[in-house]
Amino acid sequence: MLNELLKKWRGTKTTSSQAAKKRLKFAIVYDNLEVSDDILDALKGDIIEVISRYFEIDTKSISLDIDRSEESSSLVLNTPILSAIRR
Amino acid sequence: MDGKVIVITSGKGGVGKTTATASIGAALAKDGKKVVVVDMDIGLRNLDVVMGLENRVVFNIVDVVRGKCRVSQAAIKDRKIDNLFLIPASQSDNKNSVTPEEMVLVCKDLKNEFDFILMDCPAGIEQGFENAVAGADEAVVICTPEVSSIRDADRIIGLLYAKKITPKLIVNRIIPAMVEKGDMLSHEDVVDVLSIELIGLVEMDDQVIVATNTGSSLVMNKESKAGMAFTRIAMRLNGQPGLPIEIPRTQVGLFKKLGRRIGISR
Repeated sequence: MLNELLKKWRGTKTTSSQAAKKRLKFAIVYDNLEVSDDILDALKGDIIEVISRYFEIDTKSISLDIDRSEESSSLVLNTPILSAIRR
Repeated sequence: MDGKVIVITSGKGGVGKTTATASIGAALAKDGKKVVVVDMDIGLRNLDVVMGLENRVVFNIVDVVRGKCRVSQAAIKDRKIDNLFLIPASQSDNKNSVTPEEMVLVCKDLKNEFDFILMDCPAGIEQGFENAVAGADEAVVICTPEVSSIRDADRIIGLLYAKKITPKLIVNRIIPAMVEKGDMLSHEDVVDVLSIELIGLVEMDDQVIVATNTGSSLVMNKESKAGMAFTRIAMRLNGQPGLPIEIPRTQVGLFKKLGRRIGISR
């Protein structure tokens, strides 16, 4: 108990279990962001379909990626527009 | 009879699924329920040796699925505990020898004959997992306080949610002295990471190995802390969900008790 009290007063260094928890939380968040290529391809197909209703696009040069950084993840879609579809 | 199918799963291997299945099954049967434990680890049969029934195996789960025998022929009666039965895995087939659809049908049959059907799930997330989970009404996820086991448990919990099952958690092999030193994740940490409901905490216990050595049941040993913890888990599954969860702790003196009281010790 005395040791623990001393640790508390000294503003202790992190224990191995605290390190474990932090690493775990990060790993799990990261795991949950992982998307398989199949799903990404399916999403790409759907997006092309929707955009094609409004714009004429070059479906070959469309790119869809997931950008990951330390803090956040984002879905990045890049497509050249050939022309708008007039109705 | 309208039984309940509970799958015991973990994702990672070697965290205590088989011991938990055998112990919870035994405790439920001791409480007067008619219980069958089913070894779903087809190809790597083990529940039979853990329960000390290895030399009575005649038929197995694959035989039941294929209609080669009736459930009553495949279910081996325990040596000591009445109402406890085992359906072993086949050792010569593999996980793809049965399908989830077939397991749903078998589970329906079992529900007519037993109060509780406990499925000992194999490690992994492949076909063996799918088979074990297919007919389940409830799930218990077991993990140890280690990063690899918890990460796999998180994956399994996600897969169970996708199947509309809300699992409950057992944290196994807790070493209280290490938790108190800050060198092992506490059960609060584990619950915080996985955010699911706890159904029991089991301390690391040498008696588990002794019981496995002799093929005897852990819950028959009143000295075994793990055995008692599994008994309480069985009670929670069997209509006493509010039974308080005991937290494994080290034996302590006055000062530590004082420290716990005023909130500076674990």
